[in-house]
Amino acid sequence: MFQFGSRSGLTPSFRSPPRAAPGGEEVTTEEAGVRPPHGMAPRVTVQIKDGAAVAQGAPVACLRNAPDVCFVSPMPGRVARSVLLRGHRLSEIVVFRDPGGDVVTHATDDAETEPGLRRLMQRAGFWPWIRRRPFGGMPDADERPAAIFVMATDTRPFAPDPREALAGREEAFLRGLRALSMLTAGTVFVCQLPGSRFVDGSDAKGLRVVHSGSRHPQGASGLRIHALCPAGLDSPVWDIHAEDVASLGALIETGRLPMTRLVAVEGSALRESRLVRAQVGADLRELTHRIVRPGPHALLSGSPLDGHFAHWLAPRDRQVTVLPRETPRAAPHWLVAALTRSATPKPVIPSAALDQAFGDMMPAAAFVRALGAGDDETAMKMGVLSLLEDDVALADYVLGGDAHLAELLRGLLDRIRTEFAV
Amino acid sequence: MTRGLWTRETVVIMLLAAYLQLALFWLWFGGIEEVQRFALAALILAIWQLVFLLARAQPVSLSAVITALAIAMLAPEGLGPVRLILGISFGAVMGELVFGGWGRNVVNPATVALSFLGFGFPGFAWPEILLPVAWAAIPAAAIGIATGVLPAGIIVSATLGASGAVALGVLPASALPAAGVVLVLLVADPVTSATTMLGRWLNGLLYLALVILFATGWHDAAPVQFAVAAALLTSLAAPVLDELALALWYAQRRRRHGRS
Repeated sequence: MFQFGSRSGLTPSFRSPPRAAPGGEEVTTEEAGVRPPHGMAPRVTVQIKDGAAVAQGAPVACLRNAPDVCFVSPMPGRVARSVLLRGHRLSEIVVFRDPGGDVVTHATDDAETEPGLRRLMQRAGFWPWIRRRPFGGMPDADERPAAIFVMATDTRPFAPDPREALAGREEAFLRGLRALSMLTAGTVFVCQLPGSRFVDGSDAKGLRVVHSGSRHPQGASGLRIHALCPAGLDSPVWDIHAEDVASLGALIETGRLPMTRLVAVEGSALRESRLVRAQVGADLRELTHRIVRPGPHALLSGSPLDGHFAHWLAPRDRQVTVLPRETPRAAPHWLVAALTRSATPKPVIPSAALDQAFGDMMPAAAFVRALGAGDDETAMKMGVLSLLEDDVALADYVLGGDAHLAELLRGLLDRIRTEFAV
Repeated sequence: MTRGLWTRETVVIMLLAAYLQLALFWLWFGGIEEVQRFALAALILAIWQLVFLLARAQPVSLSAVITALAIAMLAPEGLGPVRLILGISFGAVMGELVFGGWGRNVVNPATVALSFLGFGFPGFAWPEILLPVAWAAIPAAAIGIATGVLPAGIIVSATLGASGAVALGVLPASALPAAGVVLVLLVADPVTSATTMLGRWLNGLLYLALVILFATGWHDAAPVQFAVAAALLTSLAAPVLDELALALWYAQRRRRHGRS
């Protein structure tokens, strides 16, 4: 009844200056921050003392309950400081670059078996690049997904083209896909734009190629998962970016995990945009140095729709958005504030714009009402377990930021998680 | 941070732009009485909005203009100000404001007000919808559908169904102008109509079925009268139609994925 048409979705327009150069040059920032995926603060054991030298790919911290899952240094350098929250929860570990340092080579002998591959991915720091649903964050060390989605398309505004990121790495990408198919008994879905020729269905067992249009949210992993293989409490689904799959292929072949990725630096507070290959956890200030307009600005890791204010490029992000910083508005008159404040959030009026913000593939108005009312059961029936904040970001934007769908969705997911004690 | 525009008030402004054609034609062919009625309805609604703003901190909405237009166009004639004030107040308060304002209401306040006036004071004549005003409903619907604020499914299904019904001779052509204007003004209200695609098609067809039923079975009823009654019953049934569409969708998903 609800499904993606080739024209469903929207193309929200944001301002950004043109690119000065074709881009793609490699940039390694002088500082980098090792962070857990957004919204997570896992309990970790820090492996390296402040001030000690660390090689690229060497673990700087590992999970307390699963010591194999490591966070690794994205470049050779020296650990500047480790910031832990209460209860040894990881906030960030800052690394200073040391140009002459080493790169760790992992043993790849038993990458042909599933346990060996898992251990390799976890030890090499690949695990935080995987996102699981329901609830988001990286998967448990021994979790077996019901399906894996490889996103070779990205429809968010200003997103770098995955085809460009994969150019010349097709072989590594195929190797990565074959490895992924070992981790699941289900299907590995590859979502790509029509006309892309990365893979066809015959390349590996259990592989399925899905074509999607170019409007957002057709390339949003959550809505694809919702349509093709919904995540459930006991059937988690993973999603990985295609570029990371190519890096996995390289890791299996060489024992070294490539740490750079294609990153688009865009936004209306820039003088010119850039496209660079930067390392994971790159320093956003250095990436935007000398190209920002004068005046206060805000740095976001992620797209203008779903980005977060950040200092470091988040583990899965491929976009940096620079926006002029909003000057705080003058407080409204006390009478106006008293009269309007209690009636928020304002109601959402069903319109074609709202339907298209969900790609016309969900009963959008009913879903937004269920979110607003905190109706967990209806939302679960509608497939809320397949969705995360990124997937409702467009609807949030379209509705003028009044509806706070991302917060409502997070609250609802947290409630479901507590209730079902996962 | 940049933001999209489809807030509640943007939808109201788009609806007003669509209904402007209807309002202009109606005023052009009407007289000073029509203007007075519209001004009275708008004034009463504004006062009630102010009362709820002060008492319950409910933000005011321009949607009151649309409600005032619908009531002024379709209310029985010669009621006098007291009855009109009573009916409009009942419709605005019980139909919309007690639920939390426009966007949270279950039935269209104009439909409630008109039904109240019709059932409460049965002796008064219902207005006749002139043909040029009815024609103006077509551009209104077109603008509403193009901007996405009027549900296309309802209007298209009711129109297709009506042309079939007129061709078969089930629906008298004299009922069409009133039914058309009520369809655009009251039934296709984005808040109180069905929100799923299938629900919208059923919503349009249910309205048509009720209009046919009343046109053939309700003796001495004016076209506007039975169209408004059909609109009231349709908007009460809209949530059921949505539930029906959702139940089908859940079943389809369960069959396809083994879970919802």
